[in-house]
Amino acid sequence: MDANAAAESSRLRGKGRPRTSETAIPSLIEILNLIRTERASTRQELEREAELGRAVVADRLQLLSDLNLVDESELGHATGGRAPRLVKFSARRGLILLATLDQMSIGVGVSDLSGNLLTQHHEAANLTAPVAQLADRLTSLFNWCLERQVTPTAPWAISLSVPGTVPSGRNDAFMTTTPPVLPAWEDFPLVETLTRQFGVPVWIRSSVETMAMGELHAGAGHGLRSMLFVKVGRRIGAGIVCDGQLYRGAQGAAGLIGALPVVSDGVTGTLDVMAGSDMIEREGRTAAESGRSPVLADLLRRGAEITSIEVSQAAQIGDPAASAILSKSGHLIGQVVATLANALNPEIIVLSGTLVQTNDNLLAGIRETVYGASHPLVTRDLRIICSQMGSSAGLVGAARVASEALFSPSFLKDWILHGKPNMHPGFVAFHGPADKAEPPPPNHLPPSDPGRIAP
Amino acid sequence: MTISGLGPHGERASPPERVSLLPEDLAAARAATRRVAIVLHTLDGDWTKQQISGMLGIFGDCGVVVTEVIDCGFSVNRQVSELDRLIVAAPDAIVALPVANEQVAAAFRRVSEAGIRLILLENVPTGLLPGTHYTSLVSSDNFGLGKMAAAGLAPHLVEGAAVGVLGFAADFFATNEREIAFANWLQANRPDVRSHVRRFGDMDEAAELALQMIADQPDISAFFVVWDTPANAVATRLQSAGYTPAMATVDLGEDVAIALAAGRQFVSVAAQLPFQQGVAAACTTILALLDRTVPAWIAIPGISVAQSNVADSFQIIWRKPAPREALRLLGLAP
Repeated sequence: MDANAAAESSRLRGKGRPRTSETAIPSLIEILNLIRTERASTRQELEREAELGRAVVADRLQLLSDLNLVDESELGHATGGRAPRLVKFSARRGLILLATLDQMSIGVGVSDLSGNLLTQHHEAANLTAPVAQLADRLTSLFNWCLERQVTPTAPWAISLSVPGTVPSGRNDAFMTTTPPVLPAWEDFPLVETLTRQFGVPVWIRSSVETMAMGELHAGAGHGLRSMLFVKVGRRIGAGIVCDGQLYRGAQGAAGLIGALPVVSDGVTGTLDVMAGSDMIEREGRTAAESGRSPVLADLLRRGAEITSIEVSQAAQIGDPAASAILSKSGHLIGQVVATLANALNPEIIVLSGTLVQTNDNLLAGIRETVYGASHPLVTRDLRIICSQMGSSAGLVGAARVASEALFSPSFLKDWILHGKPNMHPGFVAFHGPADKAEPPPPNHLPPSDPGRIAP
Repeated sequence: MTISGLGPHGERASPPERVSLLPEDLAAARAATRRVAIVLHTLDGDWTKQQISGMLGIFGDCGVVVTEVIDCGFSVNRQVSELDRLIVAAPDAIVALPVANEQVAAAFRRVSEAGIRLILLENVPTGLLPGTHYTSLVSSDNFGLGKMAAAGLAPHLVEGAAVGVLGFAADFFATNEREIAFANWLQANRPDVRSHVRRFGDMDEAAELALQMIADQPDISAFFVVWDTPANAVATRLQSAGYTPAMATVDLGEDVAIALAAGRQFVSVAAQLPFQQGVAAACTTILALLDRTVPAWIAIPGISVAQSNVADSFQIIWRKPAPREALRLLGLAP
């Protein structure tokens, strides 16, 4: 049903009742979000959770159904009497296009509106290549992902995970400019290009933030209230989850632990420099050239390039010099992580990044240091594990970022009656009308909330 | 040989050598009798036979009993019911090729929840994670195969040529990777070439789609089909309709080998090594059963086959001599 018909339906149902959008929209949003987050799945649960009367819940559900945002076609289990009708969020109403950009790879995917990943693909890429090339590649892969869907469905949002801090600020509703995450991005309007290509709002977060979100919602942190997520690569960053929410900090720069000073062999440097993959690669190459590492020396002789991955794989098969390099890195990272663990008392520490996933020495080094340098209460039930999600964590997390942004009450209130987020007035002003054939918003809005039960 | 693709969750590939069995692994595996079931999309075709052959040899060496080899006949329903039946039979591990993504994901989750080790071949159902829901994925470097096919076809394309790409309609990791990589290679190296993409659900549809594509775009001078059986069906159907475009595909079936040897349509084949893949899958299973750490993704590189190396490549891939007709066409047999 289009927005005009939805409005007419609402007008007929609300006959004789007062109609003011200002009072109706909050309850509409509340009901949609209760259904979307699966905190309520029947009319009775909605009445109880939202503290709304039966008539109001019925009215709002009808409108949400008219807008194709919820579906009431399934029956639940009867617990005596008639089986209740289940109310489900129409998560397949739109799609979220996702991308994770890393120094050496890109991942793309599509999720439904609940953030469930439907399609994903990862490939090697060079992020120092011109951004226009990257935008072309993303556009091709997004189009490929959309073509792969069995039921053709329009995208509603784009969410990107990028290898750098994304400042939080006034653009938070959706991005209108491209943040200068990488030096080359200053000259290319990536956000504007993607918005123009697909006609949907764009959100961007750092890869550490999206991976932490992914791990929290679909990985090792699922169902937990506190988590510390540590990504180890060229840079080392942390995602901090407190009370079930990702903590971004005042500028969106929380968790930049790679900038902290550490001391190793009498030399002081940042954690990034002293323990990141550049250090591992550098020391690995030295060990190969000097012959200290037989495995790496053999690789060098065969013409292979020694990167941190080769060092990591050599350590995994027992090469002593490679193991020592990884162990040193693990201990340095462990010192910083132990400080954070003592400050935050997380239930779980999840380590991520290619190095961690191809090698046990790094994990062992971090574990040893954290357990040794933390208060006994902090480590009593603390688990320190490697992520099993790989780069999927970034895609799943990016999907959650967009899903939460699309349905945040402050954004949702301006588009819900239009049925689609690209009709949000702020987005229309930024991008222009999404679809000239799109009907205007309903003239007749649903009735107010006379049934709200006072607390 | 390097691996160009990334795993289904962006993992870096581990080479098959990473799961080599040491003498102590063999001894430890033999110390307890383990049971393994193999669940495949089909039991037809040389690819499957070589996979099974590679697995059975290694399992035999390690004293592991293969209790059954199941043919799912490409059917989602059959795969789901067979997995549910196997949960009751409770083998120590299942090596399986998922025939679909979303439709079989729940059944595969049930297998892992039942405590059965799961080693996947070629494809990972939606939402399943290594270490949590399955142990490892063992697959070919499908991204590399797609690039190889494009690189082999490119010299046969004139400036500004149009290429028909026939992908697989099912959402399947292996064929998706080949399709993306083929297009990506052309975009990067032959930006003058235009691609027209369609996707087929079955072999007959592939041939009909190819005819339709040529009717819609008469300038199509070459086709890439994501594996050899439909590619051969396409080549045959087009030839009978009077078209002989240059063909590229993945896997060196007998018919494609003969056509390649004859210089008839097929000019570029990127081939998997199914026997080696079977060996890697069995080794991974053994190590997992011994509670050794195994990588999330083990990838086996492919080989590029043209007319010049079709005979020896056929032996490497299928571990038997090339078809007599191919050898005759190459002047290597009377």
